Amino acid sequence: MSITDIPADSAAIRTRRAFVSPKRSHILNAIGLLAICAVLGFAFLDQFVNGDLPCPLCILQRAGFVGVGLGLALNLKFGARPSHYAIAILSAMAGGLISARQMLLHIVPGTGTYGDPFLGLHFYSWAFLLSVVIVAGCAVLLLFDRQFEPLPADVAPRRLGTLAIVGFFLFAALSLGNGASTVLECGQGLCPDNPTSYLLLDKEPPASTTP
Amino acid sequence: MMSIPFFGLFLAFALTCVGWRRVAIAAWALSLVGLLVLFRLHATDALNIVL
Repeated sequence: MSITDIPADSAAIRTRRAFVSPKRSHILNAIGLLAICAVLGFAFLDQFVNGDLPCPLCILQRAGFVGVGLGLALNLKFGARPSHYAIAILSAMAGGLISARQMLLHIVPGTGTYGDPFLGLHFYSWAFLLSVVIVAGCAVLLLFDRQFEPLPADVAPRRLGTLAIVGFFLFAALSLGNGASTVLECGQGLCPDNPTSYLLLDKEPPASTTP
Repeated sequence: MMSIPFFGLFLAFALTCVGWRRVAIAAWALSLVGLLVLFRLHATDALNIVL
């Protein structure tokens, strides 16, 4: 059967003509997941290379990014759905709320900052900007309905693809790594407001030997 | 306790990988609630701003 034998309104033709087809949506979501991994990885790098311990609010902002990554991973595994974008948006809003609170804590000049700036902005300011970009990006992607159409019968079932597989491995390592790092830094309770060391790695001061 | 959102979200991701979509979304929702509760516990200082 040639392409001319397929009715003009068939799902196959419409999917191929779509600006954001299911395939393109898959690629965009994989790139998005890798971008989230880059953000989490850069924060991790700063923590271990420069020794900047994340404050409690910084830790919670990282968790917000992990939530965004989960929404994108759901899109990659099960196909794009509005509910998955909603998960990414709500997670970005939670992270954005926390970073906005931290920005407001330091917004008055002379009230101090936390951590070293990167390209002129502190990490919490970058986190706020990225949250806004994520919400806007997801909203733009939600405009393209054809990415949500089921795949036509003549198209092979969805596979993860190399980009997505790399993203999945990185995302798993970074989310688990952040959890482990947080346990080391904060122990079982809440984190101190200005952490200076890893709580679980601190050695107890030697006990007095005087009788 | 601060690591709960990370482990909850990792669990949700693992559930995604094995194909349990609804359970994964439930784990995400619980993690998000935990995240917001932890935020509330840490947001104790008054903000020096006028709104």
